[in-house]
Amino acid sequence: MSSSSHTAALAGGRRSSGGNVRHALEVSAGLAWRSLILVRRMPSVFLPSLVMPLFILVATSGAFRGISLLPAFDGASYLAFTIPLALVMGAGFAGMNAGMTLARDIEGGFVDRLIVSPAPRITLIAGPLMAAGVRSVFTTTVVLIAGLIGGVGLPGVVDTVALYLLGIAFAAASACWAMGVALRTRTIQAAPIMQVVIFLAIFTSVAYAPRDVLTGWLATVADLNPVTYLLEASRAAELTGLGWSELWPALVALSALLALLGTWAVTGLATLGRR
Amino acid sequence: MTLALRQTGALAWRSVRGTLRTPQALVPSLVFPLILMAIFTGSFGTAPGTIPGFPPVRGFLDFALAGAVVQGILIGGTSAGAAFALDIEGGFFDRLVASPVSRLAILVGRLGGGVALAMAQAVLFVSVGIIFGARIEGGVAGVLILMVLAALMAMAVSGLGIFLALRTGSAEAVQGTFPLFFALLFFSSAFFPRETMTGWFKAVADVNPISYLVEAMRDLVIEGIEPRPTLIGLAVVSGLAVAAVAACSLAFRRRLAASS
Repeated sequence: MSSSSHTAALAGGRRSSGGNVRHALEVSAGLAWRSLILVRRMPSVFLPSLVMPLFILVATSGAFRGISLLPAFDGASYLAFTIPLALVMGAGFAGMNAGMTLARDIEGGFVDRLIVSPAPRITLIAGPLMAAGVRSVFTTTVVLIAGLIGGVGLPGVVDTVALYLLGIAFAAASACWAMGVALRTRTIQAAPIMQVVIFLAIFTSVAYAPRDVLTGWLATVADLNPVTYLLEASRAAELTGLGWSELWPALVALSALLALLGTWAVTGLATLGRR
Repeated sequence: MTLALRQTGALAWRSVRGTLRTPQALVPSLVFPLILMAIFTGSFGTAPGTIPGFPPVRGFLDFALAGAVVQGILIGGTSAGAAFALDIEGGFFDRLVASPVSRLAILVGRLGGGVALAMAQAVLFVSVGIIFGARIEGGVAGVLILMVLAALMAMAVSGLGIFLALRTGSAEAVQGTFPLFFALLFFSSAFFPRETMTGWFKAVADVNPISYLVEAMRDLVIEGIEPRPTLIGLAVVSGLAVAAVAACSLAFRRRLAASS
C-alpha cells in the first residue's frame, strides 16, 4: 500500500455502515502494512522472532533428543516433534511484536495522532493483528524450511495449511494479549510482561514431551493450558495427520483464548481516552 | 594495602547493592533458572532409569540442579558486565579513575561483587532444590566444592562482561552478548546428558567448556565427590577465569592509557 493510499484510508468522512466497515478494513490494512515495513527499517525488532524459533528448534531437538526414546513418542523423530513448538514460538513472537510496536507508537505519539483522525479506533488493534498474522506465516515458513533442511518432510497439503492456520490463530491471541498490555501500560518497558506470560504459557504445556510423559505439577498445569491443545493439534498435523479428535480441543482452546484476550485488548482500547 | 582492601570491599558492596536495587536485573537470574528447572523436571521426570545412556540418578531434579546454578551465573554475569558499562556510560568510572582509589580495587571490586552475588544465588538454588526433594550425595563438602566451582565460573563470566564493558563502553553491547551465553548453555550437557546426544550437536557439546563445568557440579550432586570429573571441571573453569581476568586487566589498562 502506498503512503498516499494509506493517508487516503485514514481520511474519513460520512459513510454508510458498509462504507464504514470498508474504511475500517482499509485503515487496518494500512496500519498492518506500516507495521510490516517497520521490519525493513528496524530489523532488530523482527530478528528475535525469526532467530528464537530456529534456536529453539535446533537446541531443543539436539539437547533433548534422548527423551524421544521413550515409548510414548512412538518412534517419532524429536526434530519433527519439536517443529510445532518452534512454530508456536514464532507465532508467539509475531504477536509480541504487535504489542511492542503499539507500545512504541503510543510513546511516540503516533496513536494520539491517529485518535484525533477520523480513523475508527478499532483499527488500532485490527491493523497490528493483521500484521501479526502475516508475520506468523513468515516464521512458520522459515521453521518448516529449517525442518526440511534437517530431514523432516512437509506433511500433506491440508496438514500444512492447518499448521499455518493454527500459527495465525496463536499469533492473533498473543497479539491481543500484548496489545492489551501495551494499551494499559503505554510503555515499551512493559515488553518483558508481554514476553514472560507468552513464554510461560508455551513452556508449561506439552512443549518438550507429550502429556503421558509429564509428571507432577506440570502434568496438571499442562492439562489446563490451552497451548497444550494447540501444540497437540500441530503435532498431529506434523506427525500423523490431523484428525477431529485433536482438532476440536484445539478449536475450543483457541476460540476461548481469542474471546478472552480479544476482550482484554478491546477493553484496553477503551482506556485510551481516559488519561 | 589495607586501604586498597577497604576500597575493594566498598566497591564490591556498591556493586551488590546496585544489583539488589534493580530487581529487573536480579529477577531474571533468580527466576528463570528456577522456572526452567521446574519445567524440565516435570517434562523429563520419567527419563532417569528408562532412557539408555541416562546416568543413574534418584530423580530429574537432582540431575537438573547443576544446570540451574550455571544458568543463574551466566545471566548474573551478563548483568554485572552491563552494570560496569553503565558506570562507564554515566561517568562514574571516569570519576573513580580521577580519584585516588586503587586501580586494582576498581576491577577487583566489581569482580568481587559479581562473585558474591553468584555464590548467594548458588546457595539459594541448592536450598530450593533440597526443599523440593533433591539430595546432594557429596554432602557438605560436595556443596562447598560446588560453591568453589560456582565462584570461579562467576569470575569468568563477570570478567568477560567487564572486558566487553571496557572495550565497548556500552551496556547495550554487553547485554547483547546474552544470547551467546544462552546458546552456550543449551549447546552443552546443562539440561540433558551428553550420552543421549548424537551427531554434530554432541560434537559441539563435547567441546563446550560449560559441559565439563556442569558435569563436575552434577557429579557432586548425584554421585558424590569423584576426583576425575571434579578436577576436570576445576581445570576448565579455572582456565576460563584466568583468561577472562587477564583479558579484562588488559582492557582496563588500555582504557586507562586512552583516557590519560
